[in-house]
Amino acid sequence: MVGPFEQAVLALMIFVIMLGMGASLTPRDFVLTFKRPYAILVGIVAQFGLMPLVGVALVALLPLPAPIAVGLLIMSCMPGGTTSNIFTYFAKGNLALSMLMTVASTVAGVALIPLVLLLTAAALDLAIPRESVVATLVLLLVPALLGMGLRRLDPNAGAVTEVLGSGLAIVFILLLVVTWVPRNWQFLLTTTPATYVAAIGLGASGMALAYLLARLLRFRRVDAQTVSLEIGIQNGPLAIAIVAFTFGEAAQPYMAVPALYALFIVVTATLVTLLFRRFNTAAEQRTPKGLL
Amino acid sequence: MRERPWTAFYGPGVRASIEAPATRDLPALVRSVAAAHGRAPAFTCCLPNGMNGTLSFAQVDAMSDAFAVHLREVAGLCPGDRVAVQMPNGLAYPVAAFGALKAGCTLVNVNPLYTEGEMARLFEDAAPRALVVADMFAGKVPAATRRHPIPHVVVARVAEFLPALPRAIAGLVQRHWDRTVRPLGWPHVRLPGALASGARRQAEGRIEPARYAGGVEPDDVALLQYTGGTTGAAKGAMLTHRNLLINMEQTLELTTGLEKGREVALTALPLYHIFAFTVNLLGFWALGARNVLIPSPRPLSNLRRAFENYPITWMSGVNTLFNGLCNELWFTDSPPRRLRFSSAGGMALQGGVARRWEEVTGTPVLQGYGLTETSPVLTFNPLGKSREGSIGVPVPSTDILILDDEGRPLPPGEPGEIAARGPQVMKGYWRKPEETAKAMAGGAFRTGDVGVMDPDGYVRIVDRKKDMVIVSGFNVYPNEVEEALSAHPGIAEVAVIGVPDAAAGEAVKAFVVLRDPGLTPEAIRAFARGRLAAYKVPKAVEVRQELPRSNVGKILRKDLRAEAAARAGQGG
Repeated sequence: MVGPFEQAVLALMIFVIMLGMGASLTPRDFVLTFKRPYAILVGIVAQFGLMPLVGVALVALLPLPAPIAVGLLIMSCMPGGTTSNIFTYFAKGNLALSMLMTVASTVAGVALIPLVLLLTAAALDLAIPRESVVATLVLLLVPALLGMGLRRLDPNAGAVTEVLGSGLAIVFILLLVVTWVPRNWQFLLTTTPATYVAAIGLGASGMALAYLLARLLRFRRVDAQTVSLEIGIQNGPLAIAIVAFTFGEAAQPYMAVPALYALFIVVTATLVTLLFRRFNTAAEQRTPKGLL
Repeated sequence: MRERPWTAFYGPGVRASIEAPATRDLPALVRSVAAAHGRAPAFTCCLPNGMNGTLSFAQVDAMSDAFAVHLREVAGLCPGDRVAVQMPNGLAYPVAAFGALKAGCTLVNVNPLYTEGEMARLFEDAAPRALVVADMFAGKVPAATRRHPIPHVVVARVAEFLPALPRAIAGLVQRHWDRTVRPLGWPHVRLPGALASGARRQAEGRIEPARYAGGVEPDDVALLQYTGGTTGAAKGAMLTHRNLLINMEQTLELTTGLEKGREVALTALPLYHIFAFTVNLLGFWALGARNVLIPSPRPLSNLRRAFENYPITWMSGVNTLFNGLCNELWFTDSPPRRLRFSSAGGMALQGGVARRWEEVTGTPVLQGYGLTETSPVLTFNPLGKSREGSIGVPVPSTDILILDDEGRPLPPGEPGEIAARGPQVMKGYWRKPEETAKAMAGGAFRTGDVGVMDPDGYVRIVDRKKDMVIVSGFNVYPNEVEEALSAHPGIAEVAVIGVPDAAAGEAVKAFVVLRDPGLTPEAIRAFARGRLAAYKVPKAVEVRQELPRSNVGKILRKDLRAEAAARAGQGG
């Protein structure tokens, strides 16, 4: 779907973006998140419990051909993606929590994805490309740590990197949508409504349910928003890699949901992020003018 | 001399009286501290996203020298000329302020929030010959100086003296994103250019800037600090070098345990406010502290990067700031670990806020009290001996008197007007001898506040005699607001009072009788916004059929206040 050159460019962009995200954090942010490990735990349970259930429910409710249903189930079992961190950053959520959840679910995913798929799709013989998993972790952790270190070394370099990274993040998100549509135009026209509902519904209902769950568990609002974005946004590229790896030549129909999901989650997440951001900005304390 | 029983509460080694400051004048302070601390960081300006710039003591000294030369040689100012400085916190502020003082000029602090009209009235009164203004507020200058031109205007950036890249980013944001900075179509000099020209003249002409202050006497006016007037027009309190130097020492004296050259102080309060000027600008400088300047603490998340990136050991603030920080998740989650204590001034510190601050940070916040006219600190709570609800004990060499309505001293325990005597009391109001005589009647400065003094010297404020409203540390005089509102053709009568406000301590409230029945409170506030600095604009406007009056026809603000208090008491 994407050439090696484009893939390299995308990887480089994610690297710079994560460098900027890292520069917005301090080690203390992670320490604080570790002090509430509950949130990460709930994140993993929701990631591999709630989302697959949403997947199963959508399969049961929608008239989907078998390969598309399998694609949907695979998609629903994915760990959190790097883009969730970007959206959390813009939503003014808890970025450290988001990153730790991504890392935790990616690591746990190696064991949990086959297990959950076994439960939901009854013994699908899936191959999980370890390189993809490792790539996700490297592309997340290395630049984030570098960014954090850069800021410690020189707060100016950190701040400038953050500005650069967040600017690039917006370009990146726009690029995802803008390049996807013309490339897959034909595919968009031939896809059935049920597949659309599945691809959009997975992310949207995942975010909504995760938010409700977090609030029920009395998470603080920013943490609930973070969990919501983290759970709802799955690692799309990983799903695509797994499908391609597993089904080889016959991958096309299995790819329908992951590919559509990858497009629409960007749109859904942008809307949800804007909503959260507006909410958080409105909830900011107003201080009287006198203080200036 | 009266007995001063409160000196018993001073810590060990604290001087009970300070009659002469350690240095003769402010330029001498600047130079001697710079000589002692040289290359250590003196000021760090921290922008909301963490971009920052730092000047060392030696740099500030050299740059303020260059600015002094610029003012004297290039702008042609003479000793005693007023130099107005209208800037938010930033690296340009100390350079401009110290430079003006080194030039032998009188500094005039101007609140950047002032409207054109307010600026014009202040300029008319102070007649400054030079103005240093931040670019984001410079748009108001042409209108404000139309009737009283200021011959020399220097424009500085908020991000001035930051490294090139952060400065460029901040500039781009200000010009193109939030549009706070617009091109200026009138003659002015940029601060870096001014410094360059000063430094050139200094090198060419073998000028010794140290000699500019040679003729300055300790009792010469160093600072004209404006405060709202009871009659509506602002008055300039004349604070001398000695006033400010002594008050800085008086305040530091009571805060024991400070280590020279090791403190990192956070300055979120604006330096043009007298509390921050004396305590933060002069006091932290004298201590050789690294002073982290915050250009704008609103929203409070703007302070986050400063707290994360610098090991703050001391901060000063007003009730609003301490209260606000205690309500910020990021702050309560990871409170500053190196903080040892904080000083509060400017407005009453609420007991609940002080307790919560101690809970969150594990360090005390000490309340002081003072007025613009007293440089400002009169009383302070000694470290470890803070009493809740009290403004503390008089600082060294200061006497607090409680006077009855005839101006006679009252015994301890009886409420009366607080009056003060001490080396920090101003020389008088600028060009207002009658006002000065009134304020100094009986040989002590009358504060207008009503207080009680315990036999051992702790003072509590019980009421304010003046009608003044204090909005988050800034004085608002009802007369000024009433005058501004009554200029509206649709308003027949207006009375302004202060009402309790959770966030700001007090808020301005206007009661109006309308001539035009269609006028809405929102329209009245919009009208006020065009004429008054934002903090003076009434937060609430209530329309009345008539206003309470005395039998001679004077509008009774106290009746309105009593009504508001009664309503607040009912929880309504």
